[in-house]
Amino acid sequence: MTAISRRLTGARGSRQGMWLLPLLITVAIALWLSLQTKQFLYGENLLNLVPQAMPLVITAVGQMFVILLGGLDLSVGSMISFTTAVLALGGPAWVLIPTVFVLAGLVGVTNGFIITRFNVHPIIATLSMQYILLGVTRVLRPVSGGTVPDVVISAVAGSFLGVPMPVFWGIFTILVAWKLVYGSRFGLHLFAIGGGVSSGVEDAAHNLGIADRRNIVLAYVICACFAALAGIFLAGRIVSGDPNVGLLFELDAITAVAIGGTQLSGGIGSLHGTVIGALVMALLANGMNLTNVSPFIQTTIKGAILLLVVALQSRKKMGL
Amino acid sequence: MRRLLRIPPAYYVFAVLLLILWVARPNMLNLNVMGIFVRQIVPLGILVLGQLLVMRVRSIDLSGGGVILLINYTISSGVFPGASMIFLIVLALATGLAVGLFNGLMVGVRRASAVIVTLAVGIVLVGFVQYLSSGKPPGDVPGMFGDIYNTKLGPVPTPVIFWVVVSAALSLFLSRTVFGRYVTSVGENVQAAHFSGVPVARTVVLAHTLAGLLAGVSALVQTASIAVGSVRVGLDLPILAVAATILGGVVFGRGEGGVWGPFFGVLSFALLFVVMTTFGVDEPGKLIAQGLIILLAAIFYGVRSRSS
Repeated sequence: MTAISRRLTGARGSRQGMWLLPLLITVAIALWLSLQTKQFLYGENLLNLVPQAMPLVITAVGQMFVILLGGLDLSVGSMISFTTAVLALGGPAWVLIPTVFVLAGLVGVTNGFIITRFNVHPIIATLSMQYILLGVTRVLRPVSGGTVPDVVISAVAGSFLGVPMPVFWGIFTILVAWKLVYGSRFGLHLFAIGGGVSSGVEDAAHNLGIADRRNIVLAYVICACFAALAGIFLAGRIVSGDPNVGLLFELDAITAVAIGGTQLSGGIGSLHGTVIGALVMALLANGMNLTNVSPFIQTTIKGAILLLVVALQSRKKMGL
Repeated sequence: MRRLLRIPPAYYVFAVLLLILWVARPNMLNLNVMGIFVRQIVPLGILVLGQLLVMRVRSIDLSGGGVILLINYTISSGVFPGASMIFLIVLALATGLAVGLFNGLMVGVRRASAVIVTLAVGIVLVGFVQYLSSGKPPGDVPGMFGDIYNTKLGPVPTPVIFWVVVSAALSLFLSRTVFGRYVTSVGENVQAAHFSGVPVARTVVLAHTLAGLLAGVSALVQTASIAVGSVRVGLDLPILAVAATILGGVVFGRGEGGVWGPFFGVLSFALLFVVMTTFGVDEPGKLIAQGLIILLAAIFYGVRSRSS
């Protein structure tokens, strides 16, 4: 019994964290929904589920990179709003889309640079960035409006070979992230740096000869770029720029990452866990809407599940 | 020079903003005008006292917004018709205490992630209020709260004096009691504290409980200040409290700024608001300036702490 519970909640030595239990929760919710309501298994609902979940999946995967090395990025919500505002400025798509990623890269470099070179706490650095980006976004676009290039809209709404486009966005995100986390030296260094931070030896990775500053900056760049990708996706869905579309999105992303078993102290976590975490949240929202749960109690249920999942995780040390 | 650099950034920001105001709008600098502006920031000021306490034991509390919202709703919606003011105050403090104790047990004993636990508690409380209110704004706050809030002692508004007194009490509490020593030693090094016989878990639980209590107090002041209930009040306060605390020189585990560093961190937020309003900066400009000032102050402080 203890063996099973340890397997479920992530063994103490595990680098992946607790992801099996969230997966079981996901399957349980899906099963329960398909028994409860006939609509859940309707193709239409399942088709809606993917685009509903996608922005969160993309942002959470990006957020996972900085959380793995013991950081946190609170600026992703503003980054999403900023991206939609830039896309709605008007202009050819082949200019706007690269611009968005260049700007996201700059934001990420700035975040990482401030954190590594000036020794500022990630929460403060990215919180300031959140304010600054939100301010700039509101200058660009005080209220929602403008139109997004057609390419972006069709890249989100259309379908290819009978499969809706959002599915490809998901596959692309997961493939890129998989390569970065599990198929590159950078991924190993992520775990090394985060493991050091979480055991209180911040210089551990540095002393092993890992270029920790460069890797940290890179993680923040990746996080900002994934947020920009989510912003492009959302812009395609709402067809315009909206300064408030990303509001509080960073909290949802952190929640999804945490539900997936990634530890906020760094060093422990997994890509599949993060994707599962984001799916849990999307399924919950979808299921509660289908079963006519009052939208006002949904927030409480979301918070309670987060609390439950976090309370179940075993940790050696106290901390953030 | 070295001594000068040890001073938390909040004091510099405060001094610079005061100088700007003194040069540009000298007539603003009188007790009556400043009193009104400072009075508005008192709820944040009291919340910061709790925040600095938990941050000194290497934790964080993001649930303050939920506590403020719940207490504000309970008082203004008339769930307890005809309740006396004493009852409402006791209820508010008990709510804060209970939430703080729960946070403390989860973080200190269960060792769950402090960011996630307090965030989730905040989400649950906010959701609970949304459920109770169905999104509709509640009614008026009993008049007595506003009456007390609007009193003055000489030229200084009572809430400001209250804030200073509570801060002074916490400062004494941290410097003169055994618990204060425990807080410092847990912040310096958790393991060393543990092996020296400091009850680490109990210290963390107590710090969180006190922070919850202070959030309850902050909620009472916030409620008294707005007269009409709201379902959105106080939601951005916890993250601002973290920023003010760090500006004041209290970073996770390090308490160089004491209580007065964060105190001036909050004061500089109030002053920043005054300066930007008098210069007619619009809302996006305010956000950008706020971000830049927090960032620059933190960079300045970060550079210093690395070189020492």
